[in-house]
Amino acid sequence: MDIIDLSTVESSPDHCLLFLDQLCDRLELDCGSYATTNPVTGAVQGYANYPDAWKMHYMRRNLHRIDPTIHKAALSIAPVDWSRFEQDERFRAVFFAAHDFGVPRKGITIPIRGPYGDRGLLSVTRDCSDAEWERLIPEIIGELQMAAVHMHDAVMRSDVISRALRRPKLSAREREVLQWVAAGKTMQDIGDILLISNRTVEVHLRSAREKLGALTTVQAVGRAIGLGLIYPK
Amino acid sequence: MIIIVDSLNKHEYPELLDAMFQLRARVFEGRLGWEVNVVDGREIDQFDDLDPAHVISVDEDGDVVGCMRLLQTTGPHMLSDVFSCLLDGEPPIRSSRVWEATRFCVDTKKLTRGKHPRSISYVTSEVMIGAFEYGLKAGIKDAVAVIDPVMDRVLKRSGNAPHGYLGSPKPMGKVTALAALMDCSQARIDSIRAFSGIRHDVFAAQPALSLAG
Repeated sequence: MDIIDLSTVESSPDHCLLFLDQLCDRLELDCGSYATTNPVTGAVQGYANYPDAWKMHYMRRNLHRIDPTIHKAALSIAPVDWSRFEQDERFRAVFFAAHDFGVPRKGITIPIRGPYGDRGLLSVTRDCSDAEWERLIPEIIGELQMAAVHMHDAVMRSDVISRALRRPKLSAREREVLQWVAAGKTMQDIGDILLISNRTVEVHLRSAREKLGALTTVQAVGRAIGLGLIYPK
Repeated sequence: MIIIVDSLNKHEYPELLDAMFQLRARVFEGRLGWEVNVVDGREIDQFDDLDPAHVISVDEDGDVVGCMRLLQTTGPHMLSDVFSCLLDGEPPIRSSRVWEATRFCVDTKKLTRGKHPRSISYVTSEVMIGAFEYGLKAGIKDAVAVIDPVMDRVLKRSGNAPHGYLGSPKPMGKVTALAALMDCSQARIDSIRAFSGIRHDVFAAQPALSLAG
């Protein structure tokens, strides 16, 4: 996997920016940003690989205070395409100058919710035609969902207390599935062994992988062994 | 027809939401006997405050005849909290690709048997098609739904059988409740459409988002 794994490094701004750069490269996007709002102070913490001039413009004018891609998208459970904001005055106020800074106006924001009521937002943009955008998004939406949670969890884990609280809690089924994966079994084999459908096996595996903050199944197995959740064969 | 109401557009559908909360009170307190909090004939809980998305079926008279509530499993949801007993003490699934469906119900008083548009089976299929198409577009691969055995049978009979269950069924009010897994896939949507004969776009044309407030 040619993308930095934020769960293995301190989630410093550099690493977060590298993650965004790599994500954009891999999914053929122009720019990406991540933001989270502190539920207590309301402060917005974020990372973006937008052109520097746009970032300066955005920060100087405190546009994060009114940006609907931050404040409105967090109310949705589904990704929000920026075309939904076209009639919104605040969106236009924030983005009317964007094109002059080389920031495309086609974008989508993926809202993320964490277990403690924490919320995050991954936004990506691309300069392209409507047709191209509509072809691209269905192809990459699943990857964007997983990348969004991966990044949000990494940022939330970055302080020591939350790291301690967030030892992954795997169910017995999730551990069982990982244990059989470690033994080299296929999804179908595992379904037959556990008397469940292979589709259900996949759900448990994906959940286990994300709880472990792993990007691949191999990493998840390694990490689960490291945490003593399963045993090497 | 299906209308998705979430915290982005709920100011446009106050009557619809109100009718939905009343339907939920009739079903979950009345028919199923669950210990839900009903105030003034409306069933509303703390998860309704967490900005869920509601999939609402409205019939030709403009009445709410079916609904379902969707939440992300990465954040607080019912299986991680109040329904954890269904999971036999195990931690819940947490995945960016799995949504949780709860408070799934149809108006069995108004709807009848059969497969016509005023039937239980039709509205059930319509809500499921709406939810799965909404999820598919969002990159969701599976849904975990808290349902009762009657709903489970309806699903199995309507080309929409769960592919698995989490934990084990537990008594809840007058019935048992169980956590069923369904893939959010084009194959399943096609199967529900084939069974129900619903070929048209189930979504009502929703006005462009006006973001008042």
